[in-house]
Amino acid sequence: MVKVSKINFFSTSIIVACTYLFLYVPLVVLLVFSFNLEAFPSPWKGFTLKWYHELIQSKHLWASFLNSLIVAICSTGISLTMGVFLIFYAAQGGRIGNFLNLFYGNLVIPETVLAVSLLGFFTLISLPLGLGTLVLAHSVLGLGFVIPIVYARFLELDYRMTEASLVLGASPVQTFFKVTLPLLKPALTVTGLLVFIISFDDFILSYFCAGSTSQTLSLYILSMLRSGISPIVNALSAVLLLFSSCLVILFFTISKKSRTRIF
Amino acid sequence: MKIKFLRTPPSTQFPFTIGAPAMIWQVLFFYLPLAILAISSILQFSEETGIFEGLTFQKIAFFLRPLYLKVILLSFFLALGNAILCLLIAYPLAYFIAFIGKRYKNFFLFLLIVPFWTNFLLHIYAWFFVLEKEGFLNNLLRGIGAISEPLQLLNTPFAIMIMMVYYYLPFMVMPLYSSLEKMDVRLVEASLDLGASWGQTLRRVMLPVTKRGLMAGFFLVYIPSFGEFAIPEFMGGDKLMFVGTVISNYILGDETGSLGAAFTLVASLFLLASAALLYWLIDRLIPGRRHG
Repeated sequence: MVKVSKINFFSTSIIVACTYLFLYVPLVVLLVFSFNLEAFPSPWKGFTLKWYHELIQSKHLWASFLNSLIVAICSTGISLTMGVFLIFYAAQGGRIGNFLNLFYGNLVIPETVLAVSLLGFFTLISLPLGLGTLVLAHSVLGLGFVIPIVYARFLELDYRMTEASLVLGASPVQTFFKVTLPLLKPALTVTGLLVFIISFDDFILSYFCAGSTSQTLSLYILSMLRSGISPIVNALSAVLLLFSSCLVILFFTISKKSRTRIF
Repeated sequence: MKIKFLRTPPSTQFPFTIGAPAMIWQVLFFYLPLAILAISSILQFSEETGIFEGLTFQKIAFFLRPLYLKVILLSFFLALGNAILCLLIAYPLAYFIAFIGKRYKNFFLFLLIVPFWTNFLLHIYAWFFVLEKEGFLNNLLRGIGAISEPLQLLNTPFAIMIMMVYYYLPFMVMPLYSSLEKMDVRLVEASLDLGASWGQTLRRVMLPVTKRGLMAGFFLVYIPSFGEFAIPEFMGGDKLMFVGTVISNYILGDETGSLGAAFTLVASLFLLASAALLYWLIDRLIPGRRHG
């Protein structure tokens, strides 16, 4: 170990330092300008919190934030519930591979293609575009994550617990709710968080499947980007970075405890 | 006590109905729309009445012209370049997190995932600040006297590439990290002790052991990059056309939806073929098992 680290310590450290600089310089510049008294491209004029104040008072922003939240929660709920039930059904009797292979496509095709085909489908059956269609689209994407991850964890469970519960006279339903589900709970939480954040941050599916009436956070940010640089977006970035940092910490804590592997 | 697992879960006799919703959902909202997309690109409808008239390959032939093949090739090179650049940056990074900075690995992973879990339009916005004429990079370069006039950085292929690597890097690092973490570092030591150079160790020991993670990362970057449309649109202006840009223009344009479907089909088939070819190529280039 000593020898290996000595030889390549410097070269890899430099690459790593540059990579993290590359990742964080834009974000730091963005955050610094969220406190600038005057809008970009003016140089640093002084410290202010007025952009945050304006951010809090923007009604459009909070409406779209709420929309994104609703969509993310609904699609997470739908894909988790359906995914778990399918794994339970498919796991009995070793027929599992056939069913689960159906779901690998969701992650393999580019999101643009999925979005375009769903848009065509919704138009064909004249389903009005809105939050509902967005939930459908995101839940399909979510299933692609839920099924492989939860299944991997399900295979690692100690089945003797389930067997004991069945042998001791609990019904399959009781066993499911009182034994297996609690054992899977940490894995489900971690996967749920992942699906939630993917839906919450999603741009491509929202862009095609949300229609013109319902605005999600991504579409709100898009409209602000189109109208040029505004320090309010900088303030929003700061808030969202804080939000995702909290989620990542939560995610790390739970996944460490449950030993669920996402990657 | 050593825990022994039952090999398969005990039969609980859940009825088909509990598994059905997910499958119906999947067929209805995944396979059916894709099938409709593929079929609608070869159907011919009358222009006035909208009545079905027969099959046609005109729409597909329309996109087999050099103009559109160039778009597809450009996307191919963008995706391939992005995947290779990400791999070159991600490998040392994943190696560092897994072995050298091991004590603080959660911190490093945290720093990597936070931007990844934040709305990606905000990253595009952040790069505006850096690449603008009056932005951070131009000011920095002028400050150290490297340039006298601000450079045009936005709306260039350079800006597209930077943004692509920036956004897709975590997709590559995660699977690589996860397979490097499982690698026994003594293999590397043994190889070096026995006289192999770093290049040989990398090629003969590390790459074969991490082959699975490498391939996963490569295709997690390659496939979505091929259809990417937001990054070229925002960072590249409207000079360069990529597959994603063309698809979104046709699909969201008036009355051109079925042409968009045809182009999506053509591009997807090309993507499928190119991914299969790349898979075969990487499999050949790196010795060792595919599943390690």
